[in-house]
Amino acid sequence: MTIMKNGLILAGVDGSELSGSVLDYAIWLSKKSAAPLKLLHTIEHSHHSEQVGHEGNLTPNIKEHLLDELSDEERLESKKLIADGKQILNEAKDKAEAAGLSDVIAKQRHGTLPEALLDLQSHLAMVVLGSKGRGHEGELHGLGAQLEDAIRVINKPVFITKSTFKEPKKVMFAYNGSPTSHKALNLLSNMALFKQGLEIHVVSVQKNLAAAQNLIEDAQSVLNAAGLDMIGQAITGEAVEALTHYQMVHDIDITVMGGFSHGKLHGFFFGSFTTQMLLESNTQFLLVR
Amino acid sequence: MLLSAKQDWLGNVRNDVLAGIVVALALVPEAIAFSIIAGVDPKVGLYASFAIAVIISIVGGRAGMISAATAATALLMVTLVKDHGLQYLLVATILAGVLQIVAGYLNLHKFMSFISKSVMTGFLNALAILIFMAQLPELTNVTWHVYALTAAGLGIIYLFPYVPKIGTLLPSPLVNIVVLTLVVYFFGIDVRTIGDMGDLPDTLPIFLWPDVPFNLETLSIVFPYSISIAIVGLLESLLTANVIDELTDTESDKKRECKGQGIANIGSGLIGGMAGCAMIGQSIINVKSGGRGRLSTMVAGVFLLILVVFLSDILSIVPMAALVAVMIMVSIGTFNWTSIKELKTNPVSASSVMVATVIVVVWTHNLAFGVFTGILIGSLFMAQRLSQYLLVESGYDEASDTRTYQVIGQVFFNSSDKFIGFFDFREAVDKVVIDVHRAHFWDITGVAALDKVVIKLRREGADVSIIGLNEASETLLDKFAVHDKPEEVEKIMGGH
Repeated sequence: MTIMKNGLILAGVDGSELSGSVLDYAIWLSKKSAAPLKLLHTIEHSHHSEQVGHEGNLTPNIKEHLLDELSDEERLESKKLIADGKQILNEAKDKAEAAGLSDVIAKQRHGTLPEALLDLQSHLAMVVLGSKGRGHEGELHGLGAQLEDAIRVINKPVFITKSTFKEPKKVMFAYNGSPTSHKALNLLSNMALFKQGLEIHVVSVQKNLAAAQNLIEDAQSVLNAAGLDMIGQAITGEAVEALTHYQMVHDIDITVMGGFSHGKLHGFFFGSFTTQMLLESNTQFLLVR
Repeated sequence: MLLSAKQDWLGNVRNDVLAGIVVALALVPEAIAFSIIAGVDPKVGLYASFAIAVIISIVGGRAGMISAATAATALLMVTLVKDHGLQYLLVATILAGVLQIVAGYLNLHKFMSFISKSVMTGFLNALAILIFMAQLPELTNVTWHVYALTAAGLGIIYLFPYVPKIGTLLPSPLVNIVVLTLVVYFFGIDVRTIGDMGDLPDTLPIFLWPDVPFNLETLSIVFPYSISIAIVGLLESLLTANVIDELTDTESDKKRECKGQGIANIGSGLIGGMAGCAMIGQSIINVKSGGRGRLSTMVAGVFLLILVVFLSDILSIVPMAALVAVMIMVSIGTFNWTSIKELKTNPVSASSVMVATVIVVVWTHNLAFGVFTGILIGSLFMAQRLSQYLLVESGYDEASDTRTYQVIGQVFFNSSDKFIGFFDFREAVDKVVIDVHRAHFWDITGVAALDKVVIKLRREGADVSIIGLNEASETLLDKFAVHDKPEEVEKIMGGH
């Protein structure tokens, strides 16, 4: 897999609480994997027109007049959003360059984050996002409204930050043998990042211990073949609970796992394992779809 | 996506509800007026407007667009209703819906790209003229009261918004209706009222299977009407969707809209309503009133039904003059007035396409015919222009007695005569070289013209050779898909 060789690390910055941590982790990832960093700010047009009139009549050339009115109104708002975003981007870029990165690209795009990612994804190796954006400022828990959509639209790994930056030392890989977790295992064994002294824990939670043990052995052979050492742990029990417990006991920094492998409707009715994990863990995440 | 669905419905609740109510108030007179155009009871248009608005709010592809019974479709039903009655109209409505769903699955919305700006302008102007003309029966052979009332109504519609404070709160078309109704009622003026025009709804609509024999004869009666309704309905809907896209700077799902229009018409036909489509005027009113989401369309439909079912007694005493004033307003608002000024400044080709579209529509009362005419004339102009991009340069080499023709440009049906005209068949030379590597042969007429030139030259005794025929005929292959690739387009256009 040449996944990290050609693409950019894209960091989604919006000036929210987690924006700084997104930038820090993106800088760290960019350095570790020698991939250039791109900063993205999206300008969302959720404009609600204030100048509404309930005259209900049709005047001559009403369409042209209305178009002029609406575009004038939105132009001012867009200009402000662009200016604000530019400032966020410039600050982020300065910080990245101060951290020793060169060729940092800073871009603004109109539209929602998922739309922007969909347009850009062919150039990307990895996307770094905060677990919640401006809409959830100050909330202790909660996930960004666009996070799941953003993860679902692209087929690149997504790094999700949940807290301020701390040099990562320990990685936990949650392996359940599903196709997406296979992909995650592949990423783990191929990415330069994991060959730079990170301690890798592979945890498998299954209904019976033998099955979990088998998965650990599979992972072990793949990782060993790639020249990586690992600590394996087979557990029985409820997955979210067991994994978050393991994270705490072993002081894990990053959780690597397959994510959102079921359809959206499934998640709607049965609850999504990924959402559950994102909500209840305190680590950063690397999700692979 | 669930997220965007939620945004579509609940992203703008307050404005959507208010806008929906404003739209509903204006929809009532329109639905009644269009029923009268089609020659059916007002309740047919009112039930249709309810069903279409509510269904399209759920299944349509353009949030914030208003669909209901419309003039464009009503005009197509007149003879069907006159000759065969309401039940056949219901069948035609359902069949039109089925055809629209099929059109959606066949991606026919993509053909909208053939409709130029001039054709669109012609379409709207023609629609405005037809709506106005449909009011004329209400304005001929009537007492002066009707003229006075209509003029007063128009005055209220256009001037009431200038009244401070309440002017922008109350929809002026509604004020017009209320005021004129009160005047007529209290002064006991004897003019026609809505109640004179046929049944108004007094109950909620019920599911009804049309009462016609289901056989081939019925099909042969309704099919021509259904296909017209389906085409005109989709044309106006997609056109309106474009207008709303532009106004709100957002995108719509045209395929979903086609299928949605079909489902809405089937629903309308099954509760005794006539066919409809998107309404350009009402959709603009909705946007102007702040409506952006699906909720606005839903509210418009539901509120309309509540209004007419509970107020049918009051509605029946509304004078027709108030309605006529509203429809004249719709006509004025739909017409593109700048297009008249632009007749002088726009290229003759653009103006003639627009005018031809209008004339054919007003003549046939069928917007589809006008659009086809507009597209046809526009295409002829385009072919005429393209054929100007053809040039043949010639050179003569005395030593070898060789005449060389270098063909640059587009060779196709319309430029093939011009192409032949560049060659000097009277010149007696040993050899003729025709270099076509910078030419494009777009159709077999173009290729035949080249054959003709070669044969003629050979007859005169010249040895003819052609250079670069492979490159030149690449365009002939009809492989439209390759034209999507930039490098292929580059290859074809590279010569120019």
